[in-house]
Amino acid sequence: MLSFLRVVKFALQDLARNFSLSFMTVFILILMLLSINVLWSLDVITREAVASVKKQIDVSIYFVTEASEKNVDEVKNYINLFPEITEIRVVPKDQVMVNFREQHKFQKEVLEALDELGQNPFGPTMIIKTREPKDYKKIIESLNVPEYESLIEAKSFENHEDAIETLQNITNRIEKIGVGLAILFAVISFMIIFNTIRVAINMHRIEISIKRLVGASNWFIRGPYIIESFIFTILSIAGTIGLVFLALRWVDPYLAVVLPSGFSLTNYFKSNILMLFGAQALAVLILTIISSGLAMRKQLKV
Amino acid sequence: MIKLSGVTKIYPTGTIALRNINLHINAGDFVSIVGQSGTGKTTLVRMLIAEEKPNKGKVEIGGWEITKISPSDIPFFRRQVGVVFQDFKLLPKRTVYENIAFALEVAGERWQRIRQVVPQVLEIVGLGQKSNSYPWQLSGGEQQRTAIARSLVHRPKIIVADEPTGNLDSINAAEIVSILKKINEFGTTIILVTHNREVVNHLKRRVITIHNGEIVNDEEEGKYRLQ
Repeated sequence: MLSFLRVVKFALQDLARNFSLSFMTVFILILMLLSINVLWSLDVITREAVASVKKQIDVSIYFVTEASEKNVDEVKNYINLFPEITEIRVVPKDQVMVNFREQHKFQKEVLEALDELGQNPFGPTMIIKTREPKDYKKIIESLNVPEYESLIEAKSFENHEDAIETLQNITNRIEKIGVGLAILFAVISFMIIFNTIRVAINMHRIEISIKRLVGASNWFIRGPYIIESFIFTILSIAGTIGLVFLALRWVDPYLAVVLPSGFSLTNYFKSNILMLFGAQALAVLILTIISSGLAMRKQLKV
Repeated sequence: MIKLSGVTKIYPTGTIALRNINLHINAGDFVSIVGQSGTGKTTLVRMLIAEEKPNKGKVEIGGWEITKISPSDIPFFRRQVGVVFQDFKLLPKRTVYENIAFALEVAGERWQRIRQVVPQVLEIVGLGQKSNSYPWQLSGGEQQRTAIARSLVHRPKIIVADEPTGNLDSINAAEIVSILKKINEFGTTIILVTHNREVVNHLKRRVITIHNGEIVNDEEEGKYRLQ
């Protein structure tokens, strides 16, 4: 206990007496963490934007007028067997008529033509949503079977096919670029943190050799740097949290306009604060301890 | 107390620093080791503080066999051998008091004992008034006295002083030697590595001369015999 308290004391003394070096180390750590958080935020925004677009995509199956409720249920049960399906909604033919009238309420000629017919020319409509846009093709193709050929009048997929494919390509590219950038940032972060800590320890090279000469054990030499790593981690994470939330107050109103789903990056960070900053704290701590361990290894050799 | 038997040290570069050194130093001795630069004096000092191990032979110091000492035992060994260097080796960001207290703190001494011992050793070296000064605020002589005070805190049986007067003027050098003599009078073995002719001749104690890694002269009341 006594030696632990002394190690803490040495660490605090080192931090205070090497204030500019400590400040620079924390500053660089904050810069790196901010870069990672910006990258992470961009990824979250992209995913949210893509999800928002995906939510708006669906495929409509238009049944012939003669299709009975039983026929529609049969098709519905068949499609429901696909695990890719997330939602199936059937709009009865009467509701389709109501919706059509509502949609064309300002187009007098259309409504007059409909009235002239004297009967409901629409069949029921089935609206399908899948997990991924790429799944639509599979669902549509599964309906191209002779049993259902006479029941289905049209499928709206063809209209969306290009848009879905483009979106799919964009999503895949963004994911690949995101992974690439994340790896690049991780490597750069590691190099910068490693070198920052190494420079800090090299500046203490003579001190370390003196400590060894007066009989300090490795724990007394290494201990203060481990404690300093903890302090650097806490300070840099606290600084990053403060700056991130400050920036979010400015960013969120803009996002609310771009993403109409009510998405808030502030809420996202608040609800994931422990996971996000906990992981970052752990990563910084491990990095700083490994870096200081590697930097000191040579100097602690007897 | 200190016994070197057939000690040879060859560095990986092929340089032979010490050749078949046989040496015995009794407890309470004051021994000067002299020799020109590059003759192996520093290698010998490094062995005496377990910074180096010989390739051949045996080094025994106060019950420790340096050849076989484990890395975890080295800190404990170093607390029993006081070391003083030409360049003082003081922690620059710590005061005189803290530099001396540090050697006790790492040994696990209690605060009360530290508060008692540090002022005592500072008085011995005449630095009682400078305890709150930083090394850069001290003269060379004062820095060396601080280093000696630090080497004394564990009440070591041996003090190894490697060119302690090398960076000092003759007045300060005489003061340092006088302090070392005083410490020796209390029974501490002193090994003084130097090439200061005046100091060696003035001491009139045992002088060991090293040349090309070998002991070429060992006299009980010796003189500085190098050119």
